[in-house]
Amino acid sequence: MRALRPWLLLAPALGVLAVLLFWPLVRVVSLSFQEYGLRQINTGESNYTGLDNYREILGDSFLWTTVLPNTVLFAVSCVVLTVVVGTLVALLLQRLGKTWRVICSTVIMMAWAMPAVTGTYVWIWIFDPLNGVVSGGLDAVGAIEPRETNWFTDRWSFYAIATLNVVHHGFPFVAVTLYAALLTIPRELPEAALMDGANAWQRFWRITVPTIRPVFAVVTILSTIWDFKVFAQIYLMPGGSGANPDVLNLGVWSYIQSFSRNEYGMGSAIAVLLTLLLLAITVGYVKALAREGDQL
Amino acid sequence: MAHTSGRGGASGRGGASGRGGARARRRRLVAAVAALTLGAVTACGGDEGGEPDALQLWIMDGTNPDAGPYVEALQAEFEERTGVALDVQFIQWADAHDRITTAMAGGELPDVAEIGTTWAPEFGAAGALADLAPRIEEDGLADDLVPGLYDAGTVDGATYGMPWYAGVRSLIYRADVFAEHSLEPPTTWDELRDVGLALRELEPDMIPFPVSGGGEYGLDPFIWGAGGDVAEPDGEGGWRSTVNEPEAIEGIEFYTSLATEHGLSVAAAETWLETDQLESFQNGEAAMVINGNWTIATLLEADPSWADRIGVVPIPGRDGGFSPSFVGGSLLGDFNSSEPDLAWELITLMSTGEFAASWAEQSGYFPGQQSLLEEVQERDDPLVAPFAQQMSEAGANLPVTEKYGAIQGEQVLPRMLQAILSGEATVREAADEAAAAMDETFAG
Repeated sequence: MRALRPWLLLAPALGVLAVLLFWPLVRVVSLSFQEYGLRQINTGESNYTGLDNYREILGDSFLWTTVLPNTVLFAVSCVVLTVVVGTLVALLLQRLGKTWRVICSTVIMMAWAMPAVTGTYVWIWIFDPLNGVVSGGLDAVGAIEPRETNWFTDRWSFYAIATLNVVHHGFPFVAVTLYAALLTIPRELPEAALMDGANAWQRFWRITVPTIRPVFAVVTILSTIWDFKVFAQIYLMPGGSGANPDVLNLGVWSYIQSFSRNEYGMGSAIAVLLTLLLLAITVGYVKALAREGDQL
Repeated sequence: MAHTSGRGGASGRGGASGRGGARARRRRLVAAVAALTLGAVTACGGDEGGEPDALQLWIMDGTNPDAGPYVEALQAEFEERTGVALDVQFIQWADAHDRITTAMAGGELPDVAEIGTTWAPEFGAAGALADLAPRIEEDGLADDLVPGLYDAGTVDGATYGMPWYAGVRSLIYRADVFAEHSLEPPTTWDELRDVGLALRELEPDMIPFPVSGGGEYGLDPFIWGAGGDVAEPDGEGGWRSTVNEPEAIEGIEFYTSLATEHGLSVAAAETWLETDQLESFQNGEAAMVINGNWTIATLLEADPSWADRIGVVPIPGRDGGFSPSFVGGSLLGDFNSSEPDLAWELITLMSTGEFAASWAEQSGYFPGQQSLLEEVQERDDPLVAPFAQQMSEAGANLPVTEKYGAIQGEQVLPRMLQAILSGEATVREAADEAAAAMDETFAG
């Protein structure tokens, strides 16, 4: 009985996890091996087809030429930009006086607090080709002809706007976390370096970065996970829900297969692949981190 | 109700593990688990109970701006006729398809629900809808149903939905601008192009005719008007795409050339949905749009003075007459109700006679009964009659097969339109690609 007690106490939490996380996970994996449509939903029967879904996805050139490059390139640029901008803002916060620091952090918190859907609509509105702020400004200086401009149809400009959106929404978390980490650096370290004649660039790379490296790792891993599975910010953009196949990423592709085409098996298989990809990246990060930890 | 008690049980369990002695804790835990289980049991019991105390009906929110009085009258009438209560739930169009799918998976479907015309073959093929054909036959209703709507719910002789109400798209134009420049609404394709070119000169700040790339319902009339079709039965029980055959190509070419060659549209419209196009009309930018009869109510609600500034004509045919337009709308489907007689009673009550007429009138749509539709047409309202004429004389249907739902979900035709409008592909290339994508789905 005594041995059972910890499990009994854990049971509620484990139960919730099992129902909310584990069971859906098992279902998605099992669905990914089936051809599962409305008919199966209605009857509740299983319809296993082995690896067919995976074979079809991995054999589809669309995955390799469009969906995967879109997902990976987009995630990499977003993560790099988010961390760079977040770091710069954190350094700025550290230097500001109290009043300005409060003002600045309040403003960036507002960017963070904005729901992704609202934020996306704001960016669409800003870049509206006909009546948007940006096209209005560029039109005023004679740079573009609004009636002949549409940024949403081109893959690169589409993703440039999406990147702005995601970085704008993601950098406050990085900035706030890194600012907190910066406060933990003992004051003597940069002071001593300053005495030795190190400039700001050297102090940043030789002192700041090594001291708070684990925090950098955490924000990078989290940003990577978030930016890989971006959905709403792409799906809600004009043409992003499937009308423009050039801009699909893994998340949206999975959604279209499952819910627009009622091929739940195929959609699940794409979701499983996305999870595996994320898992591989995260494991890679954590391993690299552990190695560095050993060296220090 | 039962679900709420289940949730209460769960939170009780969470609270119990937080405080008190070990024994008390365990006792509370047991109690909470028991409550939870009981909740689950009663939840099941409630659903599968023997005699029906109420029939479940799901209808879409927002179609009828003030649905309250209608629903009350319907409930009273139904209860009086059958002695059974009617439980009405409003659901949102935007997530209705997912909602029904989820309810299907969870075995929580209502007895009767409003469904979009294109969903009938889909849910019908999945086996979730009852075939109403024998009952329609028995009651002698078939001859008086609006054909486009009736056909949309009928696959291989089985009818999965009873026509309830319908809408259709026609050409809406700025009557005030046309009058100012003494222009006449177009009656042929050439006139449509010429009047657009004239507007481009006369009103340089306006968009003469936005060609929006995000929806297919503006394009379909031109494919049909040129004598083509999106797909046709292949004679072996399946379908094949005909969107890349010469007639269809001619229609696509004309429609897209209005934007690409004649500059009657703007680049922004390449990614517009129908709602964006309506917005541009509402902002005073667009001069002519192809949009639905239901949008008139939206326009008038925002600003009653629109009544004097808009005109409506059926979509012009290539050389006169009309180009067919898609008849969209709603059917009432019986989701394998355990009380099929009551479900049918409710369906006929709503879709014929007094209740059908008042719903159509309140919502700004057209009734699904031909006789009621003709009554509307005879009233000769200039903002209603042209739509009614379009529907009864030039209404058309998209392929009635579950596969076409998947094709629409994949946005095959918007994809084609956007590729042409943005100059990424020629009409021929884009149409070939669209046909290939459709055939892949038809075959799969």
